[in-house]
Amino acid sequence: MNEQETFIKMSDAVLEGDSEALTVIIKKVIGEVDPLILVQKGMMPGLKKIGELFESGEVFLPEMLMAAEAFQEGMKIIEPKLQESGKKVESPGTVVFGTVFSDIHEIGKNIVITLMRTYGFKVIDLGANVSPITFVDESEKANADIIAISSLMTTTMTYQKDVIDYLKERGLRDKYIVLVGGGPVNEEWAEQIGADGTSDSAAGAVRIAEKLITDKKGGVA
Amino acid sequence: MVNFIDVIDRATTGPMMTQKDFDVKVVIPTLRRTLKKYEIKYDRKEFVNTDDALADRIFEAAVDFYSEVGTYILDTERIIKFTKGEILEAVEDAPKQAYFGEGPDRCVMKGRMPDDNELPHCHVGSGTNTSEENALRLVESYARISKAKTISIPIINTLGHIRTAAGAPTEILAAIRAMQYGREGCRRAGRPGLGIIDHVSSASTGVSTIASSAPQFGARPSDGWLIAPFAELKTDYSSLNQTAYLTAWGANIGQEAGPLLGGYAGGPEGLAVMNTAYSLHGILVMRATYHLIYPIHMTYVCSSQPDVIWATSASTQAIAGNLRVPYYTLMYAAAGAATKMYFDEALACLIMLIASGSGIEDVHPGKAKITDGCTPVDMEFTCQVGHAFRGVTRKEANKLLEKICPKYVDKLADAPLGEKVNQCYDLDCFKPKSHFQKLYDEVIREIKGEYGIDLYKY
Repeated sequence: MNEQETFIKMSDAVLEGDSEALTVIIKKVIGEVDPLILVQKGMMPGLKKIGELFESGEVFLPEMLMAAEAFQEGMKIIEPKLQESGKKVESPGTVVFGTVFSDIHEIGKNIVITLMRTYGFKVIDLGANVSPITFVDESEKANADIIAISSLMTTTMTYQKDVIDYLKERGLRDKYIVLVGGGPVNEEWAEQIGADGTSDSAAGAVRIAEKLITDKKGGVA
Repeated sequence: MVNFIDVIDRATTGPMMTQKDFDVKVVIPTLRRTLKKYEIKYDRKEFVNTDDALADRIFEAAVDFYSEVGTYILDTERIIKFTKGEILEAVEDAPKQAYFGEGPDRCVMKGRMPDDNELPHCHVGSGTNTSEENALRLVESYARISKAKTISIPIINTLGHIRTAAGAPTEILAAIRAMQYGREGCRRAGRPGLGIIDHVSSASTGVSTIASSAPQFGARPSDGWLIAPFAELKTDYSSLNQTAYLTAWGANIGQEAGPLLGGYAGGPEGLAVMNTAYSLHGILVMRATYHLIYPIHMTYVCSSQPDVIWATSASTQAIAGNLRVPYYTLMYAAAGAATKMYFDEALACLIMLIASGSGIEDVHPGKAKITDGCTPVDMEFTCQVGHAFRGVTRKEANKLLEKICPKYVDKLADAPLGEKVNQCYDLDCFKPKSHFQKLYDEVIREIKGEYGIDLYKY
């Protein structure tokens, strides 16, 4: 199997969510191929493809989760080699993501996180019932670009505003892009509380994240 | 049926696992296997399922699936599981009628069959965000719709200038206030006994629900309380506390669920089985006396998309034909209120539901995301359609949807926002404003012209 065939098989394994097949291939070639190239040419195309299929409605969350899971399994083998080589996988940005205080709904957040990861974002998932202080402290620790705040219920939306208010109190509001989302959240609410953006769909959230990060970095994609 | 005490005991003794493992290692693979085993397939050749055998297989698949998966309890990280025998016994024992309201406004909600000539239960209102100044008038306007058998009352999330917050005292006070507006609105409409069956939409926590349900604020056991799960097939002690309180009071409990097409259930076939499994969860865990499903497309955030319409039709038939429980469905339109597109979406959804054997609720405009985004005209329309299309068969419904759906499907991703209720409806006179009345007249004329049914006669 030549290098090109290896990459195609790796990409297909990610696309199929076949962790076992992927790790078998990686173990065979890990000593011979640049680990960064394995990620970029072997695994990323499969991840990108599953993201595209998800956006076009041809596959759904289960398929995307399995692809992401396979990717993570592959990375467990590649990561040590990457560290040895001193190389890093380029990422559009780091996102700290959570569901607001008093809300334990996670599915919307999990869908967006999974799609963001397929687009190469580094996402730190804080889980649910996250306090404003935790959102901000974790974003500081991660040197995040984006704080993404999810809320499913009308009665918990107000805690999205609390995170933004707390950022202002700490003098950190301009440091972060703040995205809000969830069942009852719309543009009117996002604007009212001073968020930078919102979207109804996971694909829309990724587009906004990419655009705002590009804008923040001076318009260079 | 397994006793509720035994159910909550299983919440502390059932198998333990993380939430992520439940999603990824239990729900997703079990559903995939079940879909294959029962050959649940959607060929996209029809909007409304007409295959009775498929509907029955969806029911069998849901029983099999639920017996393997169960209900996950977030607090204890354990799974409440039931055997197939226990599930089928519960299906047999589940209440087949729910009684709502008092005096002349008392009504019964029953299960219907596909192609049934029985009038669908017409439920109106909206448990969506509403500004406090509109809430009372809106409830009055819902209750004035004489064909409405039961109503939902709005969510209030402000106390004057203060926005309410889940778990805070403001939530309890707002929930109490919403309850009082609900009962007072019914009284003002001359229907004090009307059943309010979306308690308590202003409360998201068990403590607020129970506090605002004290009878001195207007709640009656002949109203209905909706208890929602977490996606998918998860619940928590806060919800089970509500069930404990309401069963002890003898009140109506509604199992509600809004599974996502594209979420853990996957595509339309998975959604159909998940919708059906929710009814089993509702009967056994939440002790439901009635059932509400509101499936949503993950990308378009509405239910009028054809895949959701088919999945809902198929699961409704599975439930209607095999469970025969009191059941109604809420669908979301992508387009906002007072738009032509809204009425096209609503008509398609309502016809599918009537033909498939469900009760109906007004299709909510603007993905139910817009504060003050529902209007009494939507509700009047629902009742008119419910009466006019009574007895429509699934075959006829398919022919109608072949004409209706193409009018809006390509516009779902970029639907018009529409108007808020105060822009298009006069809440002092309880009449649509002239531009909305004109639009509504055009909608009614078009329906009469194209399908030969004059909704104004109903």
